[in-house]
Amino acid sequence: MSKPVLHIDQISKQYQLGVMGSGALKKDLQTWWNKQVLHKKEAPDPEAYDEANRDYIWALRNLDFKIHEGDSFGIVGNNGSGKSTLLKIISRISLPTSGTIHGRGRIASLLEVGTGFHPELTGRENVLLNGQILGMQKKEVLAKFDEIVDFSGIERFIDTPVKRYSSGMYVRLAFSVAAHLQTDILIIDEVLAVGDVDFQRKCLKKMKSLSSESGKTVIFVSHHMQALRNLCNKAIWLEKGRLVEEGPADTVINKYLSREKVETLSQYYPNPESAPGNEWIRIKQVSINPQFNTQISYIDTRTPLDFEFSFWFMGQYPENTQILIGFYQLTGECIFELCSEVLKVEKGLVEGKCRIPGTFLNNGYYYVSMHFLNREQDTMYEFTASVAFDVVDYRNAKRPYGKWDGAVRPDFPVELSQVSFDAP
Amino acid sequence: MANEWEWELQAEKKWFQYGLVELWRCRGLLQSFVRKELTAGYQQTIMGVFWLVIQPLLTTLFYFLVFSKIVKVSTDGAPPLLFYMSGALLWGYFSDCFTSTMYSFLHNAHIFNKVYFPRLIVPLSMVITHSVRTGIQFILFLIIYVNYWIFDDAVHPSSYIWLMPFMLFFTALLGLGLGMIVAVFMAKYRDLEQLMNFMLRLFMFVTPVVYPASIVPEKYKVLFWCNPLTPVIETFRLGFLHGGSVDSIYIFTGMASSLLVFFIGLTLFKFREIKVMDTI
Repeated sequence: MSKPVLHIDQISKQYQLGVMGSGALKKDLQTWWNKQVLHKKEAPDPEAYDEANRDYIWALRNLDFKIHEGDSFGIVGNNGSGKSTLLKIISRISLPTSGTIHGRGRIASLLEVGTGFHPELTGRENVLLNGQILGMQKKEVLAKFDEIVDFSGIERFIDTPVKRYSSGMYVRLAFSVAAHLQTDILIIDEVLAVGDVDFQRKCLKKMKSLSSESGKTVIFVSHHMQALRNLCNKAIWLEKGRLVEEGPADTVINKYLSREKVETLSQYYPNPESAPGNEWIRIKQVSINPQFNTQISYIDTRTPLDFEFSFWFMGQYPENTQILIGFYQLTGECIFELCSEVLKVEKGLVEGKCRIPGTFLNNGYYYVSMHFLNREQDTMYEFTASVAFDVVDYRNAKRPYGKWDGAVRPDFPVELSQVSFDAP
Repeated sequence: MANEWEWELQAEKKWFQYGLVELWRCRGLLQSFVRKELTAGYQQTIMGVFWLVIQPLLTTLFYFLVFSKIVKVSTDGAPPLLFYMSGALLWGYFSDCFTSTMYSFLHNAHIFNKVYFPRLIVPLSMVITHSVRTGIQFILFLIIYVNYWIFDDAVHPSSYIWLMPFMLFFTALLGLGLGMIVAVFMAKYRDLEQLMNFMLRLFMFVTPVVYPASIVPEKYKVLFWCNPLTPVIETFRLGFLHGGSVDSIYIFTGMASSLLVFFIGLTLFKFREIKVMDTI
């Protein structure tokens, strides 16, 4: 096991809330007097969270974990879970209220692309300035200069003031500087989604090589789960400033994503008053009915699935209604979408169904969302994550092992035949 | 395991941790900041760096017209142009150092919120930038001065001229020190911005910028000379223009108080440099 390079030791962070007003100075003086002169220490206890006290908020509460050398470490969590606060504390931008961070080696953070870029300076001058702001020595930047410019792909404009750059060029140059930082620990906050798709791919590749080849420790925060899964080997999941889960990236990310899993294969509401919906649509029932044709009683990749639904149309006037049914992966990516015919519906019960054939979906977790459109193609109601189901891997002996790539796994036959024999 | 760690971060910080080693390591960054300040300000201007010399010249001319021609204030026998120029130059140096460093946190919050480097780089780069600018203005002063000296024989340098480098240095220290103190408080209390700009304007009138110290009545003299800028400007004029007089005790009190203010500012700045970002 490699050595730890960072130890987050019981870190808590408290933020003062409230508006600045005439009372603020008096309060500050009181706090200062109590602390410095009377030596009354207000012991901050992050666990004693007082909902009624609106004066402060705990952004982080007693976080404790270690990051090891060569790790690519992901941090996931909802907005406001404390991810950015944690990054700020590790990068020395903000101080913890209590606790200690022990660390080893140089640390550089990239919480924003192009921090300190000055619009009036040329690309060349900005590369030098930005590299130094991010913690490189001048000679290190100069040594890497050609590589940086080459990576950014904007050689022609390097002596133009950056205010004349397009936003794409700006981001490319800024990211290139950051990608060539000479540091032991690199912290990256949600900055991978820069530039066009090609450049993003280039960045991801670069980031991956940073930790895998040069043994640097990289800490990522992102909402892009696919990228994190790709990049990280370890991860933590934060919720309201607390550590929820720590471990291998795949496990943590799956747990994080499945936090709002709908457990059942069907939903049923006996009367329109209590059913989900609005003034136009009320859901009566949605269900996934697996058509098992073998002995097994769970859904695997061979099982055909019938998706059935019924709803009350509540509108006062008849409406040309169309229904879109989207099938989503756990990552939130849509695999495919089905559209119904347009049907003129009146007040009353409407039902529908469709079939997903067997040997079509790949193994994994899927959920279904429904859109109800009116004649203007506007959404009348959106029923997200209506049902969800898990498709288990099935392979006969012919198939190779390992993760079967792709969102779908159709069994299109691939024919193979030898055409001629070359005598040796 | 614990003894293998190279650094630690925690909430409580000791006084008198100035991080000078770290600062020295970042000297390249300081250099880049200064270059940025010096070049970026004059991009896309027609007159470019000439603004540097136009500003003090216009100020001097204005003072000359108002205070010499209209109000008719004494200049202790020195040529009015040089007299007002020396005042404008030194006052400008102090107030530029002060006003630029007091915005250290406020104007750089977007950078300070995203990346760490020793925060002292910012006020230091400001002071160095203004030192370079003042240096250029000083050359202009010397050109005019040499004209008066050689062609008019109106002025003669005295031995006080050798005190000038120290005087300028302590002026910068005073501006930097005050600026750092205000910067820390201004991050939270924006009122200080208004207050300081106002105070600065008043402060100019208790400093011998447009009049000589000799016209101050005897009973206010001690108070007047407690202003650390008074001995600076008076020594400057004594050295170059041979007018007025300076009690050497005030040179020392001026230097001592500048130094004191600087250390208070430095300590406060270092102590609060990270914490202050939560309140900005």
